[in-house]
Amino acid sequence: MTKRTSQSVRWVGQGMPRVDADGKVRGTTRYVNDVDYKGVLHGVVVRSPVARGILKGLVPDPAFDWSPIVLATAKDVPGENVVVMHDRTMPLIAEIGAEIRYRGEPVAVVAARTPELAAEAARRVRVEVEELPPLLTLQEAIAIFKATPEKLDSMKSQDIVKGDVATGFAAADEIVEAEYWAGHQEQLYLENQGLVVFPQKDGSILAEGSIQCPYFPVHELNDCLKLPPEKIRVRQTAIGGAFGGKEEYPTMLIGYAALPALKSGKPVKIAYERNEDILFTTKRHPVWVRYKTGVKKDGTLTAIECDFILDGGAYLTISDVVMFRGILHCAVAYRCENVTIRGKVARTNSFPCGAFRGFGAPQAIWGIESHVDAIAARLGRAPHEYRRQIHARPGDVTPTGQVLSKENGSTACLELALKRADFAKKLKQVSRGRLRKGQRKLYGVGLAFFAHGSAFTGDGEAKFKAKGRVELARLEGGKPVVDIRVSSTEMGQGVHTIFTQIAADALSLPPAHVRFPMADTGLVPNSGPTVASRTTMVVGNVVHRAAQDLKRQIEAFASLRFFQGAPAELRASQLVAPGAKPVPFAKVAKALLAEIGPASGFFQFELPADIRWDQATFKGDSYPGYSWSANVAEVEIDPLTCELEVKRVTAIVDVGRVINPTLAAGQVEGGLTQALGYAIMEKIGTGKNGLYDAARLQTYIIPTALDVPEYDVKFVEYPYSFAPPGGKGLGELPMDGLAPAIANAVEAATGRRLRQIPITPESIFAALHAPQGGTP
Amino acid sequence: MSTVQRTWKVNGKPVRVRAPAGRRLLDVLREDLGLIGSKESCGEGECGACTVIVDDEPVVSCILPVGQLADGTDILTIEGIEKKRIGRLIQAAFIECGAVQCGFCIPGMVVSSYALLAKNPKPSAKAIREGLSGNLCRCTGYTKILAAVKLAASRIPAAKRK
Repeated sequence: MTKRTSQSVRWVGQGMPRVDADGKVRGTTRYVNDVDYKGVLHGVVVRSPVARGILKGLVPDPAFDWSPIVLATAKDVPGENVVVMHDRTMPLIAEIGAEIRYRGEPVAVVAARTPELAAEAARRVRVEVEELPPLLTLQEAIAIFKATPEKLDSMKSQDIVKGDVATGFAAADEIVEAEYWAGHQEQLYLENQGLVVFPQKDGSILAEGSIQCPYFPVHELNDCLKLPPEKIRVRQTAIGGAFGGKEEYPTMLIGYAALPALKSGKPVKIAYERNEDILFTTKRHPVWVRYKTGVKKDGTLTAIECDFILDGGAYLTISDVVMFRGILHCAVAYRCENVTIRGKVARTNSFPCGAFRGFGAPQAIWGIESHVDAIAARLGRAPHEYRRQIHARPGDVTPTGQVLSKENGSTACLELALKRADFAKKLKQVSRGRLRKGQRKLYGVGLAFFAHGSAFTGDGEAKFKAKGRVELARLEGGKPVVDIRVSSTEMGQGVHTIFTQIAADALSLPPAHVRFPMADTGLVPNSGPTVASRTTMVVGNVVHRAAQDLKRQIEAFASLRFFQGAPAELRASQLVAPGAKPVPFAKVAKALLAEIGPASGFFQFELPADIRWDQATFKGDSYPGYSWSANVAEVEIDPLTCELEVKRVTAIVDVGRVINPTLAAGQVEGGLTQALGYAIMEKIGTGKNGLYDAARLQTYIIPTALDVPEYDVKFVEYPYSFAPPGGKGLGELPMDGLAPAIANAVEAATGRRLRQIPITPESIFAALHAPQGGTP
Repeated sequence: MSTVQRTWKVNGKPVRVRAPAGRRLLDVLREDLGLIGSKESCGEGECGACTVIVDDEPVVSCILPVGQLADGTDILTIEGIEKKRIGRLIQAAFIECGAVQCGFCIPGMVVSSYALLAKNPKPSAKAIREGLSGNLCRCTGYTKILAAVKLAASRIPAAKRK
């Protein structure tokens, strides 16, 4: 930790307590359901009772009193009935005569003075659908793909090609081929989805609630609500967790609430209860991934061929980009001259899958990290020794042709993880299916090594040009405060705190002078969505630069006003000039506000000029920077009950400059725990009737305080020097690698490779009692 | 449904409540009494976000009908925790240890921690885990929460320990 001095306090790098912690520990923080919205109507979505069919009719029960109810259907959509995400195929709400594509697809929205009355009204709408045979699962889609690849209904396909895999396989001594599966995962933010739409007198709307990306709806609902971006204003309330689940989904929710709101002229709130939230919101995409790899006796990987197919659900929404991030992580962490990766997004008649921390990368890393262990086993090599040989490091060329810079701590992560976990020694103690002397449980240790691309894929940041301001515009209690104006949302990850630290350092002011109001599209420029492990790296840089811009303006004013034109510097809360008595910041700021009005520092993000990306060929620099990690998991398995316990996890992480070590460690521990659930607990599917089969917390099981292992989390810092203060992406990385590390540990414990997560006692039992080789 | 009329002690103050017997305690607290610190997440007693202390025992208020609570029942919610010394120690330790992220589970976590430490001011690591096992958190991975409870316990003055 940097030492504090009176000259220049450095807040970046310190574990400063959260700026929003006080209200949260006292219970005074107001989430959307804690706000008393006077006169609001409560909206309930009426949904399709079947997974596929033709919507024939909506019949309101004539015995029900409809006079206090607002009933909105597709006829009430003001414009074209489409939610514009990454294509224009998804209607906001199904129309009579159109095809229903998933169970629960909205067909109407009702609104009433109480939630109970609205729910009753929703039940009184008979939804008539002529059923068609659905395709419900990824398993069914993959069966079609294996029989006749071109018959797979893929909503988006993309290949990555480097070298020539045929040449690579010809040069190989061994071919190792296997398939890996992973199921859905629910974000399970503790606060359910909820928001309110207020229709305004000028025909515009204001939406507020638990919304991760306020600028998304501003640009996605224009056609259907027939409103230009400036007439859709969106702001966040305190968010009780999101993890991607409140990224694109609230756009739909705003659209649903807007229909009865615009029809009635009254504000409409839609707040889900847990059951509805699990059944009818997005999940992590299930995946099927097949690796075929060629390898020489000396371990050289000569070819990686990979099919990576996600279950997108019924509509594309944002699944193309999830698949892109997936295929970009399928082989990025290892040296190989010949790579072909084919990505697809299968259409099924299930709820559209969506964003969830990791965004395709956990699925890819689940496959490759299981597979690298399988290759090592074929070669008779220890998994860590083999990764030491083939892992990517600075100067290596990725599958898209990107040369990794020196700012990649890949080797450091791997080596420190092996050392801290004492991996080589522990590997000698693993059970391999037979209890060793002194063991009462099967013991295993497993390793995973991986990267996570920071920020938007390819030249996304170059095109987007994130904007932000840092303003000196007001007094609070008579004291001047500086406001951070960016669209990044606080969801618990700590952005309000770390941006306060970054702005404080850039201004040379204590954090007490800095405020970070909740994101509101009416007040902040578009610095982009709070996604893609981009916030610290990209928007953090915008805040740093904008604060420096503001500092220069304050200094220029002070120079003229207080120092007769001598150059002034804002340093440690004072304006100082050579040979003059320092003037306190507060005095200067008040004079500035009184005499010339608010000052605003601005910055617009740009990528280095030499970053190149070709979206058509998928070649070039796929991410501006990479974070790295190595995870070691130790497991114990009861040989009789097959109960699996993860005892200890070592996670070494390179996320560049660590802005707040306490918060960063919390992000890692929380992400690892979600990955633990993904690996061994969280099971949910759509097999029976298109409805998720675990609809509540009694059936969808997430880790409790009794389930978490001992975590050893350490950071190694390889900062992204182009964008001070130099952070790289942190949020998603901890979700990426623990599942394969655990699967590799289970293999070491049992001698059987499990190729599907979650790994449950049932699946371990089946593997132990299978004739050989593990599960399919 | 029959309506009940009760006088409870809520956060140390007498409160008269009139509600249908089957109305959930959580709704009475949040809607009738304006104590919005207790949260609803699962609505079926699984997640602990609505935890309050009823006659010294932590309970999930989302599945507790008020008809079951007699006159004189003593209810402590997150809003009353900070009036207790141990409660303040817990809140300070949560902030200090970085145990808070989105915050939605935190009122329930603080209340469960209080229930634990009020009875057992020197809990073992296992006892802390068990004491919080009814409270789900999706953000933190629990590690810093467990550390915060341990830190708070270490600061309880010896005289307060039973």
